[in-house]
Amino acid sequence: MTKKVCVIGGATTPFDYGPTGFESIEGGAAECIRETREDIPDFSMRDIDLMIYSHFSVHFGHQLCSEWIIHDHLGLVGVPQYRIENGGNTGGSALYAAALAVMSGHHDVVGVCGWETMDSVSQSQGSEFIALASDIRYELLVGGIYPIYYAAMANKWMKDNKVTEADVATIGAKNRNNAMDNAKAQWYRNEHKYITVDDVMNSRLISYPIKKYDCCLMSRGVAFLLICSEEYAKKVNPDGYVTIDGIGLSSCTIRAGDRLNFPGWTERYGKNYPGMTEFGACRSSADQAYKMAGIENPLKDIDFGEIHDAFSTSEAQIYKALYLADENNIAQFLRDESTHMHGQIPMNPGGGLMGYGHPVGATGLMSAIECFYQLSDLIPKKHLSKKTEVPDAECGIVNSHAGTGTSISNFIMRRS
Amino acid sequence: MGEVTIMKKRKKFAEEPNFTEKKSYRPEGVKETGLAFIGHEISEDGNVMNQFLHYDQLYTIRHGENSKFFKGLLEGKILGTRCPKCGDIWVPVRTHCWNLNCNLEKTEWLEMPLTAKVHTWTIAGWSGRSSLKRLPIVLVYAVIGNSNVAIANELHDIEPWNVEFGMPLKIVFKPEEERIGAVTDFHFKPADGWEPSPWNKEKERIQKLVEPVYEWVKTLK
Repeated sequence: MTKKVCVIGGATTPFDYGPTGFESIEGGAAECIRETREDIPDFSMRDIDLMIYSHFSVHFGHQLCSEWIIHDHLGLVGVPQYRIENGGNTGGSALYAAALAVMSGHHDVVGVCGWETMDSVSQSQGSEFIALASDIRYELLVGGIYPIYYAAMANKWMKDNKVTEADVATIGAKNRNNAMDNAKAQWYRNEHKYITVDDVMNSRLISYPIKKYDCCLMSRGVAFLLICSEEYAKKVNPDGYVTIDGIGLSSCTIRAGDRLNFPGWTERYGKNYPGMTEFGACRSSADQAYKMAGIENPLKDIDFGEIHDAFSTSEAQIYKALYLADENNIAQFLRDESTHMHGQIPMNPGGGLMGYGHPVGATGLMSAIECFYQLSDLIPKKHLSKKTEVPDAECGIVNSHAGTGTSISNFIMRRS
Repeated sequence: MGEVTIMKKRKKFAEEPNFTEKKSYRPEGVKETGLAFIGHEISEDGNVMNQFLHYDQLYTIRHGENSKFFKGLLEGKILGTRCPKCGDIWVPVRTHCWNLNCNLEKTEWLEMPLTAKVHTWTIAGWSGRSSLKRLPIVLVYAVIGNSNVAIANELHDIEPWNVEFGMPLKIVFKPEEERIGAVTDFHFKPADGWEPSPWNKEKERIQKLVEPVYEWVKTLK
């Protein structure tokens, strides 16, 4: 019998880029934990019996094993620790590892700390560093960076699903506008403006059909999330703890072009799936999480989500992978603004990667933290207003996504 | 009696390759500096300091079992691999079969035709640092011959707004003396006789998005 996994607290530093983001990584980690302690004062650093660190690229920090710097700064010598790295799904994978540690009963209180310092190099150099996580022998050299791979996938997906540029642009506007209610969000701290679908449509071409405002932000930021057993949750945060009822992690090819008819997929989901357009790893990790949490009708059973909107197009592709819509109604689902705050299933009320920011190792944890805030009634305290609170939310989904859909995790969280 | 030194002969586990062809095409001015702090900045209030670190390093990519593919590029050939058990064919190559029923069967090499078909495409208006000056780039994922997978590369000799799903392509190699054994040694071109479809709204939209990119690239130093 496995043990129930709970979330009892968490916080991020403000996400930022450039001159105004100046926390050291260990200072940022300490500040995140101090904020967590303000919410749950009965939590003591002495209770942590495992730390899992979540960090993507040593290229950005030019420091290998930078988790060692954070860990001893936190005073945790002697406490076991290790680091998870899994591209854009680093945060989700670290959360997966923490959940397994608690489920097994071997650990009771697990801290998960993630960070990235992407402003240590220029934007275009940063894009190239991230592209080192594609197959450099075949893709980086032909001018390929991640937005280009995603654009090629999205172009065909949009055609196959009769989705227009304006349809997906609603997502770029939605997440940035949600971020305007969140003082820690990079969009709030930098551009700081409400935008329209026209603004997205008129923004600079990144790679057709993706424009600048269809893309997430490059960020500096740190996040901390506290995972524990239900016994400990009841002791420290009896009224606000959240349970992780379903977890799923899956994988796909590194090169998107290798998915046309991969035997490992066709035997699961039939011929031509996922092709270059669908996220097979998102579907299969959702299948796992839904089954474990008893989700039968995702659109009805889930109230909201914090999902990996690296691009407005990929957020739309994720809706489909999560079974929120299919090829017959995905375009209408977007036109109905189903995932806006006033819609059936709000997505990324916290701002997502396009609004809050995307410091890779911290990103999945940021999503989980925002989901936790919604389910523990902390939004009025953590956001600037109740505008981005999902009223009476009982169940949320957290999604973390890497590569061109190469590693994806999904989590179902519920109010206790 | 003096001390006896026993000389152990180093056991050879594999023959060392004898590298007879060596070429260098390092651009001028590229140097490995190692680690060097090259400057700093301090805020007026004295509270915040940033330091600038420079680091360059030469890497050796050892292609191992994949070597034939990259050597093939130098010779103007696209080599693929095929599983002798299930018959699946790949470019980019796999040296062991992907089908779990084939239990990592070793694949065999074959020369691929220099023809392909567009699976999907995009027009890049932004890229990594080393590609900015080549923008806009038409990048396609295309299926070469009867490969089971698509490979990414640039499509030249076409107005960006004219690219089409499923269009036929040919593979063109750079002149032999310019090849470096990387995928940039070749690119795609529209197949002979291919004609673009008539002007339409989507093409007009793409042209509107792409034109500022041409202007922006002109401003790059």
